[in-house]
Amino acid sequence: MENVVEFTNVTKKFKDFSVKNIDLQVKQGFVTGFIGANGAGKSTSIKMMMNLLRPDVGEIKLFGLDYKKHEKAIKERIGFVYDGNVFFEGLNMKDIKRIVAPAYKHWDDKVFYQYIEKFELPLNKAIKTFSKGMQMKASLAIALSHHAELIIMDEPTAGLDPIFRRELLGILQELMIDGNRTIFFSTHITTDLDRIADYIAFMQSGELVFNQSIHDVAENYAIVKGRLDLLDRDTEKAFIHVHRATTGFEALTDNTKAVQNIFGNSVAIDRASLEDIMYHLKGGIHHV
Amino acid sequence: MQIIISNSSKEPIYEQITSQIKSLILAGELQEGATIPSMRNLAKELQISVITTKRAYEELEKAGFIYSIVGKGSFVAEQNLEVIREKKLKVIEEQLSAVITNSREIGLSLDELQDLLKILYEG
Amino acid sequence: MFNLIRRDVILQKRQLLLFIPFILFFIIMGKHPAFTFLVASIFIPFNTYAYDEKAETNILLNSLPYTRTEIIASRYLGAIIYMILAIGVTSLTLLVFNKPFTMTDIAIGCGLFLLFAAFTFPLFYIFKPGYIFPVVLICFLLLSAIGPAIVTFLTEHLNAITDFIVNLTVTSLYTGATLSIMIVYAISWGLTNIIYQRKAL
Repeated sequence: MENVVEFTNVTKKFKDFSVKNIDLQVKQGFVTGFIGANGAGKSTSIKMMMNLLRPDVGEIKLFGLDYKKHEKAIKERIGFVYDGNVFFEGLNMKDIKRIVAPAYKHWDDKVFYQYIEKFELPLNKAIKTFSKGMQMKASLAIALSHHAELIIMDEPTAGLDPIFRRELLGILQELMIDGNRTIFFSTHITTDLDRIADYIAFMQSGELVFNQSIHDVAENYAIVKGRLDLLDRDTEKAFIHVHRATTGFEALTDNTKAVQNIFGNSVAIDRASLEDIMYHLKGGIHHV
Repeated sequence: MQIIISNSSKEPIYEQITSQIKSLILAGELQEGATIPSMRNLAKELQISVITTKRAYEELEKAGFIYSIVGKGSFVAEQNLEVIREKKLKVIEEQLSAVITNSREIGLSLDELQDLLKILYEG
Repeated sequence: MFNLIRRDVILQKRQLLLFIPFILFFIIMGKHPAFTFLVASIFIPFNTYAYDEKAETNILLNSLPYTRTEIIASRYLGAIIYMILAIGVTSLTLLVFNKPFTMTDIAIGCGLFLLFAAFTFPLFYIFKPGYIFPVVLICFLLLSAIGPAIVTFLTEHLNAITDFIVNLTVTSLYTGATLSIMIVYAISWGLTNIIYQRKAL
C-alpha cells in the first residue's frame, strides 16, 4: 500500500515546545484522523506537512517527493482547509477564485461552480459576512476544485454545529468513493472520527503515540474495571494508566489479550473510545 | 441490498455486515453473479469508514461468498447451497444435542422443551 | 508568478478608485512633481503589504503551489511594474492639469521610491504583524520631511556638482546613480529572500 505522506524521524524545536521523532505514514485511499489535545503538536505537524514550517531534523515526503525540489508539484496535488478563514475576508468568492484558480494547473471551473451550487454559497458577498460553517464550505469548495489527491484539513469541524459537522462528514464520505483520494484531518472532537476515519494517528505532548487502523485500536485498547485488590506490581504492568477510586479501579490497556489472560473474568473489559484513550494518556506515555 | 448496522451492538460493525450479506446470499435474496455495491459506495451509504467495509468484503471473499474484479466491482460467488445447508443442519443438530443434555440435567420434559422452542421460534 | 502580481489589483479594486484623487491632492497642494511621482508609486505596492502583513495571507500563499522565492520575486518585480504604471498615470494627470515636470523629476521619484522600497520591504518580513505599520509610517514621515529637501538640494546642486566635476556628464552621473540604486534594490531583494526562506509561518 502506498503512503501519500511520510515523516521519518521528524523533530522541530521551539523555545517552549517541541515535536519529537515523528514517524508518520498516511495511507493512500483512506481517511486518517489526527487526534490529540490542544497543544499536542497537531498544528505544528500539519504545518510541516504543508511546508509552512521546516523540520530541524528528519525527512518529510509527500507522494514520495521532497519539498526541496518539488514544492510546486506537491502543492498542486494538495487541497487544504484550515481552521479559520485564510482567504482575504473582504473579497467575495468570485474574486478569491480569480486569485486562487490561476495558481493551479488543474483548476476546474466546472467542479468549482458545482460545489458553489451544492453548498449554496453566494458568489458576490464578502467572505467576512459568511457564517463559520459557510466559510468552511467556501474553503472546502476551493480545496476540491483542482482535483487534489490529498486533502489536508486542520480542525475543520472546530466551532461548527453538530448538524453541519454531520453534513461535512457526508461530503467527505462522498469524496472517498474515488479510491485515489486521501484525507488527513486533525480534530479534537473524536466522535467525528467514529463514522469516517480508517486510521487514527494520535499525538500527545509532541510525540506520536500511535498510528493504527480503527480495527487495531479497537482490538488493542480497552478500558478495564475491577476491584482494587486485583492490582499489584505485576498485574499493573498490563496497563498504561490506572485511575483508582474508593469503589475500584479503571485502567487503560493497549494489550487487551494480556489483560484477559491475567484477570480472566474477574474484571470488566469495555471498548475504549478515542476519548477514553486521550483522557488516560493526558499525562504522557509511560507504562505504569 | 438492505443492511442494518447497530452502533451499540457488541458485535463489530464489519461482522454485522458479513453476517447480513451471508444471510442474504443463503436466503437466496442475492443470487449468484449478482453485483453488490463497491466497498467504497457501501461505506458511504452506511456512513461508516472504508476500512470497515474493506475488512467485511475481505472476509466474505475468504469465505467464498463473494469475489471482486478490480475495476468492475464485487459479485456474489457461486454457492453450493446443498453443502451449506447440510453444514448448517449439522451445526443445528449439535446445538440441539447440547440443549437436550441441559434439559435432562434439570428434568425438563420433552413437551416442556417443545413448548419453549415453539415460543422462541415464533418469538 | 504573473498571477501573484495581478493579485494586487484584484485585492485593491476599491482602493484604486482613490488613486486619482490621491494624486490630485498632491498636485493641487503644489508639491514637487518628483515627490508626487514618489507617493504615486508607493500606493499599490504598500497597500498590498497591508494585506500581506496578516499571517493568514502568508499561510494562503505558501499553501498554494508557489515557492517562497516566487512570492518574494513577485513583490520586487511587482513594485517595479506598479511604479511604471503609477508614473504613467501621474504624468498624464500632470499633463491634463498643465503642470510642468521634467524627466529629472520622474527619475528622482523613481530612484527615491526604489530606495524606500529597498529599505522597507525587508522590514515587513522581520517585524511581527502589528509593528510593521508604525515602522513604515515613521520611515515615510521621515522621508516626506527630509525628502523634498533632498530633492530640492539635488536639483539645485546637481549643476554645481556637474560644474565641479568638469569632465563628468550629467548622463554618466545618472548612470552611476541608477546603477547604485539597482544594486541596493538587488541586495534588498536577496536579503528579503533569505529572511523569508527561514520564516516560520
